[in-house]
Amino acid sequence: MKLFEYQAKELFRVYSIPVPKSVLAPDVGAAGDAFEALRHPVVLKAQVLAGGRGKAGGVVAVSDEAAARREAARIFDLSIGGEKPAYVLVEESYPHQSELYLSVSLDRGERSFVAIAASAGGIDVESLSGKVIRKVPLDGIDEKFAREVAARVGLREPGAGQFVTILVALERLSREKECELAEINPLAVGMDGNLLALDAKMIVDDNALFRHPEFAKLHPEDEFEGEASKQGFALVRLEGDIAVVGNGAGLVLSTLDLVGDAGGKAACFLDLGGGAQEERIEAALRLVNRLPGVRRILVNIYGGITRTTDVAEGIRTVLSEGPVKPLYARVSGAEEEAARKLLEGTPVNLFKSAPEAVAAVVKPS
Amino acid sequence: MMLPKKGDPIIIQNITGKYGRFHAKLMLDYGTNIAAGATPGKGGQTVEGVPVFNKVAEAVENTGAKASVLFVPAEFAYGAGEEAILAGIKLLVVITEHIPVRDTLRLIQLANTNGASIIGPNCPGLIVPSARVKMGIMPVTSFAPGNVALFSRSGTLMYEIAGQLTKGGFGQSVALGIGGDPVTGTTTSECLDFVEGLEDTRAVVVVGEIGGDAEERLAAHISKSGRRKPVVAYIAGRHAPKEKKLGHAGAIIYGNYGTAESKIRALSAAGVGVAMTPMEVPSLVANALR
Repeated sequence: MKLFEYQAKELFRVYSIPVPKSVLAPDVGAAGDAFEALRHPVVLKAQVLAGGRGKAGGVVAVSDEAAARREAARIFDLSIGGEKPAYVLVEESYPHQSELYLSVSLDRGERSFVAIAASAGGIDVESLSGKVIRKVPLDGIDEKFAREVAARVGLREPGAGQFVTILVALERLSREKECELAEINPLAVGMDGNLLALDAKMIVDDNALFRHPEFAKLHPEDEFEGEASKQGFALVRLEGDIAVVGNGAGLVLSTLDLVGDAGGKAACFLDLGGGAQEERIEAALRLVNRLPGVRRILVNIYGGITRTTDVAEGIRTVLSEGPVKPLYARVSGAEEEAARKLLEGTPVNLFKSAPEAVAAVVKPS
Repeated sequence: MMLPKKGDPIIIQNITGKYGRFHAKLMLDYGTNIAAGATPGKGGQTVEGVPVFNKVAEAVENTGAKASVLFVPAEFAYGAGEEAILAGIKLLVVITEHIPVRDTLRLIQLANTNGASIIGPNCPGLIVPSARVKMGIMPVTSFAPGNVALFSRSGTLMYEIAGQLTKGGFGQSVALGIGGDPVTGTTTSECLDFVEGLEDTRAVVVVGEIGGDAEERLAAHISKSGRRKPVVAYIAGRHAPKEKKLGHAGAIIYGNYGTAESKIRALSAAGVGVAMTPMEVPSLVANALR
């Protein structure tokens, strides 16, 4: 779960990582008031989870209140990666001589957490050159570890001492809150040499949320995706018109590829999960049938622990309840003959292979 | 890593749960020697005729098992894995999904210091068709004995591709689910090293997906080690959106990190035949063995 910048910065404050003074504004009026309450100039920052916020015009510096209101109104109207900002963070700007990069993140390939630091910040970590990367022990780091990183980044006092404190705090935050990523980019070096975290990014391990009730309800989740997870399957909404349903994440991913290769666009990714039984299949079909944007439904099942006959029964039940959008299905694997018999005479377009079903759903005759 | 041989005793942790019970029966039906179960507080019961013990150590003492399959809920999975390793289990197959990544990292560390191997988490397990050994949840009808080793990050895609291989006349020496999590106990590179020494394996099929850099690392590993057994790969997720977790915790692209394009490019450059669809895999295997 990705946190909004203002949420991450609230945690930074708790862990004594220095951040600029700021006010969270829910509307234009509040943004104007915030301008008055802070030292000028200020920076207005759209609070969205999508990347590319700066390029989309979601970050702007202003020096008078009229501009603050005008720019806040503009930002509230933006759609950044399909997301409308619920808040604008109004923050005192911090004149600085240089920028650093600092993060603690999971390195999947190394199967370890790593601290990454660089003497240039503000850009994507992938594009950074001269990165210092050090493996972080599972039980945490000490000041000695942080001092070595500071030295390799080439920091001098007073920045070096502050950097050590910040890295130790960031690692503790990352460990205690079970983050996959805790990132400060940029970490600004002020005109007087003091460090300040100008941006904050945190991604919390979804699987660890049961140990962190403090993160529950931080995000308004998509209504349909939330309903899916309650029912025990995984739904991700996409922008096309073909609902793609299957059993198993890899199988559904591979079906998305077939649809894409055939020139179709998926409206969603729906993984029924292992051993799905009738009720879950029915719930999934009902949900995609009323999902906005869906025009046709593709079901790709490879039967194993999931019984193909259960899938067929589930489809029949949902068809008996009322109108269902055109259904295209490939049902294969254990008991497929019995499943096909069950679907004979129903409006389901049944296919023996996934490519045939995909061709038909993409270009219906 | 040591694969269990025909008849080797195997234990199931949380055999008394819904999934443990269901799959214990299927593993027994296949011919696997499920010798004992372990669930705290359920000692003395039997499941499908299999005795249940409170502790893994008791199960090990009574059966001599060196391998365990874990159906333990995510919250308790680290504790159960630790108990197994300290009881002398050398092969842990962790079926459980949704284990926090820090718990997985701690378990891997503990396994390394105790000479144990972990398969998974969030995996369908492993099957050795010629020995009728199944430590997992895969449908056995897709698999047949043969000379192709199959390693997959995805469960159903492994069954689907195994089914395609079997239909195409290519049985499997071993099929093993790496797991769909960001960090797994055994990597595809380690699996490849393992089958390099297996006489009955003539070709390897690797099923990857978006997220992380396991396939890029595999490609580098193949280039470096100059091995001879041909490798065929399939990578799912060429049309996957970025920054969205697609079913598996590990199936997520950040920026240009974890894209299918990057994986396909790296594997192709290392001389691996990359199939564009699961259906193409058998013909690529046939080409590789020609």
